[in-house]
Amino acid sequence: MSLINKILTWARIKSPWIIHFNTGACNACDIEILASLTPTYDLERFGIQLKGTPRHADVMVCSGPVTLQTKDRLLRIYEQMAEPKFVVAVGTCASSGGVFQGCYGVNGGIDTIIPVSAYIPGCPARPEAIIDGVVKLLSTIKS
Amino acid sequence: MSRVVVPIGPQHPALKEPASFTLYLEGERVAATNVALGYNHRGIEKACEERPYIQDIYLIERVCGICSHSHSTAFIQAVEEIAALEVPRRGAYIRSIIGELERIHSHLLWLGVAGHELGFDTLFMYSWRDREVVMDLLAMITGNRVNYGINTIGGVRRDISKEQSEQILKAVDILEERTKFYIKLATEETTLIGRLAGVGSLSREMAVKFGATGPTARAAGVKRDVRKDDPYAAYSEVSFNVITDDHADVLGRTIVRVMELMESVKIIRQLIKQLPDGPISVRAPRKIPAGEAISRYEAPRGEDLHYVRANGSEKPERVKVRAPTLANLTAITHMIDGGYLADVPIVIAAIDPCFSCTDRMISLREGDRGTETLMDWEGLRNYSLEWYKKNRGIDMNKIHALR
Amino acid sequence: MEKAESLIKDLCKAFAFIEGHTKIQRSRRIYAEIPLENSSSLKEVLIYLRNKKNFTFLCTITGLDSGENFEMIYHLADDAGVLINLKSFTPRSRPVIESVTPVFTGAVFYERELKDLFGIEVKGLPEGRRYPLPDNWPEGQYPLRKDWKKPDENPAPKA
Repeated sequence: MSLINKILTWARIKSPWIIHFNTGACNACDIEILASLTPTYDLERFGIQLKGTPRHADVMVCSGPVTLQTKDRLLRIYEQMAEPKFVVAVGTCASSGGVFQGCYGVNGGIDTIIPVSAYIPGCPARPEAIIDGVVKLLSTIKS
Repeated sequence: MSRVVVPIGPQHPALKEPASFTLYLEGERVAATNVALGYNHRGIEKACEERPYIQDIYLIERVCGICSHSHSTAFIQAVEEIAALEVPRRGAYIRSIIGELERIHSHLLWLGVAGHELGFDTLFMYSWRDREVVMDLLAMITGNRVNYGINTIGGVRRDISKEQSEQILKAVDILEERTKFYIKLATEETTLIGRLAGVGSLSREMAVKFGATGPTARAAGVKRDVRKDDPYAAYSEVSFNVITDDHADVLGRTIVRVMELMESVKIIRQLIKQLPDGPISVRAPRKIPAGEAISRYEAPRGEDLHYVRANGSEKPERVKVRAPTLANLTAITHMIDGGYLADVPIVIAAIDPCFSCTDRMISLREGDRGTETLMDWEGLRNYSLEWYKKNRGIDMNKIHALR
Repeated sequence: MEKAESLIKDLCKAFAFIEGHTKIQRSRRIYAEIPLENSSSLKEVLIYLRNKKNFTFLCTITGLDSGENFEMIYHLADDAGVLINLKSFTPRSRPVIESVTPVFTGAVFYERELKDLFGIEVKGLPEGRRYPLPDNWPEGQYPLRKDWKKPDENPAPKA
């Protein structure tokens, strides 16, 4: 392996693993999160890896206003994550319940259930905003 | 080189969740399916009764972030009927242009998701790249990539300038080229066809019996499309084909969607060329007189139906939303039963459900022993890819068409 | 319009109690009401519309809280884009209806909604998970009833 590749591989290994959880969102934010992985926005170049299991995740990226049906699962996934762990609320619903505030089927923002480290507003949050928010969070993690 | 795992089902299997799909297995086949939903239930209909109509538009748009324009237009059309408001032609045209752009973005999104479910991630990357052409257009016209907010009661809120019209025409030229390619893929690429043919069968008779709608029904030869049968907005002034197919399976659903991309391109061109001059909206009263109306809209996934009852106040008495996926979900058990477990991910994906439907736990019950395994979506997908490699020698990554 | 008028004529001939309870709101939009005392005939009317008049698609069932009664609107469509909206009633004091799944298989989710959100008992509703409310939703709470209010809870954000 060349020196460059060694460095890149090291950066990848040191990079945080992210899981994504939708707490009853309309899917707009979830699609923008996925879109930020595609070549146009390319979140991957910052060394971020999206994984399926909470056990090894450093960051949980959440969308949605926490419907009653998802409340328990959200809490459980958070508890499964090892310290240090961070939560990013993507979108206005995840930040505050958004337009669904007061609806009987929702709890409200993610922070009504678990602590949130970063809020990325928007309805939906644009891929640029998502990348910006995640990168800002990463730099605080690194320091 | 590490690979990105796209999070369609990120939950850990050991979490004891109420399963959304309970599959009763007999060997490698599914004997029976139980569907449980409600993940996304927020209480929107009740909230609509507690807010004025103008705020309800904003709320209804967010029923679904993929077809938000479908929902807001359907809702507003019902209100306009009750209030006897006639939307100016230019406003109706703009609604239709946005509607067709939404259809294109939704079908391309679906193509990518289906690709991912099949282990065909190159297709996901390509189709979502093409989808960005549409997202840019929508952002240019409406100010947002999603949840466009273009509708108001009585018409639309923003006009399309001559320059924007020209941009739209240029962009659909690009989309047309890409669509030709996707049509070729769906109708000539033998590996893909081999993978999809005969999977998730739903006959014409069954499609009608279960009340299926949209591409799921049209793929079984059911020629129903609200734009043709019950025209709204500007659809009675453009010519287009209702795409049906006779495969009555996942392949058929794929063919219908890629062909519909082409029809949408044709429709948008006509709408732009024929765009009438004049106002884009009429003034609407705050209080909507007592009355009721039902509005139907052909969303990308099928018929979207909104019922509104007004009581003379500025808040509706009742708003009922029936999104297309719900109409197709009763048919899903029929499509899965008798088939292979390995086909479950693509069969579910082929009705084009909301993402959240697939972000679920799946419970597998082994015949009489009743032993239960919980699998998350990603796990089932991996099982599916392995099964097809092992038993059919199908590996989607071997498709060279996209290289 | 002619087609709609002739449809209504035939419908009233087959079911006299519908006479005087019909409305053509605009093209392709017909409304018909089954008076409360005739509600047991609902299935018959649906079968007639499906078999004799080609209304093979049950789009959805809308439930409403109309005070003294609950109202259920069965929205049926044919291949020509015509929508006939059949209204039926059940008393609030004892809301019980019969499932129409023998006539329209696709009615399942729509009837579950009536049960969950209005508390209408649906006899013959096929077994299955509730829809759309979550599993831990309290008994006897029917959110779409007009007299139901969300209990006030304002969870403060966890720091």
